[in-house]
Amino acid sequence: MRNDIRQRRAETGESQADLAAAVGVTRQTINAIERERYDPSLELAFDLAAHFDCRIEDLFDPDE
Amino acid sequence: MSEHTTPATTRPSTRKRYKRIAYGLLGAGIAALFVAVALDRFALGVALYWAGGLGMGLVQRFSPVTLYDERDTTIDRKASQTTLNVFAYVFILGLPGGLVLQESGVVDLPGAFFGSTWTLFAIYVAYGVSVLYYKYRT
Repeated sequence: MRNDIRQRRAETGESQADLAAAVGVTRQTINAIERERYDPSLELAFDLAAHFDCRIEDLFDPDE
Repeated sequence: MSEHTTPATTRPSTRKRYKRIAYGLLGAGIAALFVAVALDRFALGVALYWAGGLGMGLVQRFSPVTLYDERDTTIDRKASQTTLNVFAYVFILGLPGGLVLQESGVVDLPGAFFGSTWTLFAIYVAYGVSVLYYKYRT
């Protein structure tokens, strides 16, 4: 699923490892989501949206 | 919905280190089993093997970092499904095929063939029970 996590992370200056630790997953999982090779669970999507202080639909684009 | 509370200081290198310890303990247990069997100390080997497995479980249970996350679970699920599918073909095609070959006198099937077939059958029965269990729970 297309997403803006890489851009959001760039804006906050976080590394993949920083973001992974903040939401309780591995760096590999963040990398897979950014490369659109893995769709996160609803729970993780909510955690990511909360972390970036936005809505899930601002972060993920289900139409892509 | 649970909160993810892994501290920000946690790094993947720590996770890798704990995973290495966990798998290392299991590997050491397996190696100890082989060595002990070679030395004709079977009971000691089994005890060390169990200790290795228990150590792996304890590391996974009490590790301060997340060793497996939802992507690992997804990978596990997909790999398990693929494995079950592959062995379904082995079971569906292999069993009647083997029986036909034996009845035709082409081959004389060893007891291991029937043993492995019953083992596969038992695995699929267990799978079916698990599916029913989770169907009723979900």
